[in-house]
Amino acid sequence: MSKQNREQRAERAAALVEERRRKERRRQVLSVVGVVLAMVLIIAGGFLINSLRDSSDDTAAAAEAPGSEHGLTIGEASAPHKVVIYEDFICPFCGELEKRTHSELEQLAADGKVQVEYRPFVLLSRIGPYSEAATEAFGITLEQSGDDVALALHDALYADQPSEEGPFPSEDDIADVMTEAGVSDETVQAYLDGDGEQWADDATQAAEDTGVSSTPTIILDGEPFTDGADVDQLAQNLLAAVG
Amino acid sequence: MREWLGTAARLVTGAVWIWAGLIKLPHPEQSVLAVRAYELLPGDTATPVGHLLPPLEIAVGLLLVLGLLTRFGGVLSALLFVAFIIGIASVWARGINIDCGCFGGGGYDPDAASKYPFEIARDAALLLASAYVAWQGRTRLALDDLIFPRRHPERVEPDVQAEP
Repeated sequence: MSKQNREQRAERAAALVEERRRKERRRQVLSVVGVVLAMVLIIAGGFLINSLRDSSDDTAAAAEAPGSEHGLTIGEASAPHKVVIYEDFICPFCGELEKRTHSELEQLAADGKVQVEYRPFVLLSRIGPYSEAATEAFGITLEQSGDDVALALHDALYADQPSEEGPFPSEDDIADVMTEAGVSDETVQAYLDGDGEQWADDATQAAEDTGVSSTPTIILDGEPFTDGADVDQLAQNLLAAVG
Repeated sequence: MREWLGTAARLVTGAVWIWAGLIKLPHPEQSVLAVRAYELLPGDTATPVGHLLPPLEIAVGLLLVLGLLTRFGGVLSALLFVAFIIGIASVWARGINIDCGCFGGGGYDPDAASKYPFEIARDAALLLASAYVAWQGRTRLALDDLIFPRRHPERVEPDVQAEP
């Protein structure tokens, strides 16, 4: 075999190895790209499906506008903004929200800027009987004593909100709060007789049928309102949005 | 031996991710509430993050369990655990009592403060395991072996040797 021939063979062999390496490299890059694409697909697909399946928008869309029979509405129907607040009398986050917004919202409602409906219902019955008891007191007051007294009681119940760990006010304690808020003796007696139960049950059923599963659930102009890292920002942003 | 340890670490960590992601996947609203309860994310970013986390966890878990792009999966997993540990430590420090929402659930939990130490310890252990996987890179029984074949020293380029 001539020297030239050997060199040619060596070159060919080297070219072959090089070609093999190139192909192998290409296969690896394609595999990695494939795996990364599959990952992105899983994540993006899951994200999209989760966004579509999140029922918050449906809940907001299903919720009645202010003026329902399961809550207390303040402000005029002609106001440019409508706010519905689903709340529970024992939920601490609701209490914090009320502290930061109730007088401001009442002012804004009086100024004709917003119509607000407070829609209390019994979500946290697992914590104890207080949620149910307070909702019954509110319901019977709204039915018998009218909106102004109901609003005073609503604010008084939140101002005196017990901790989630208790101790919880008894029905007699709640009756005292009612009297102080200006509820008539007959209505207080009706509450103690259990006449508020039907209203509380109906309000709770209505909230469940709407799909409300947490409190506070705020609906601003038919959309869920959740803009804020904490309750401070949430309250500020809500007031800014309707003010 | 190290490679087998790496395999154990990625299987345990990956299984935990897949499990955690699958539990949360059917309840996007719950997942959003759990994220929001940390009171860390500005505006309404809790919503997209709550929707993103479950599929992200499943994807990271799959990488680890299958041993695909193992090093990358380990780094991603470690970063997620760092974020979760910061989250739990931060609610603990701020006195916020919430269920960590790690495996579903989330939101207010009166006994939360007593659970935080265990949750942080668990996440720290899984962080260590993830870091080990990231550092080790190559592990046994990994699909990475198909993408990046192992070169056996006794069989280097056998076809070249066949040439006369």
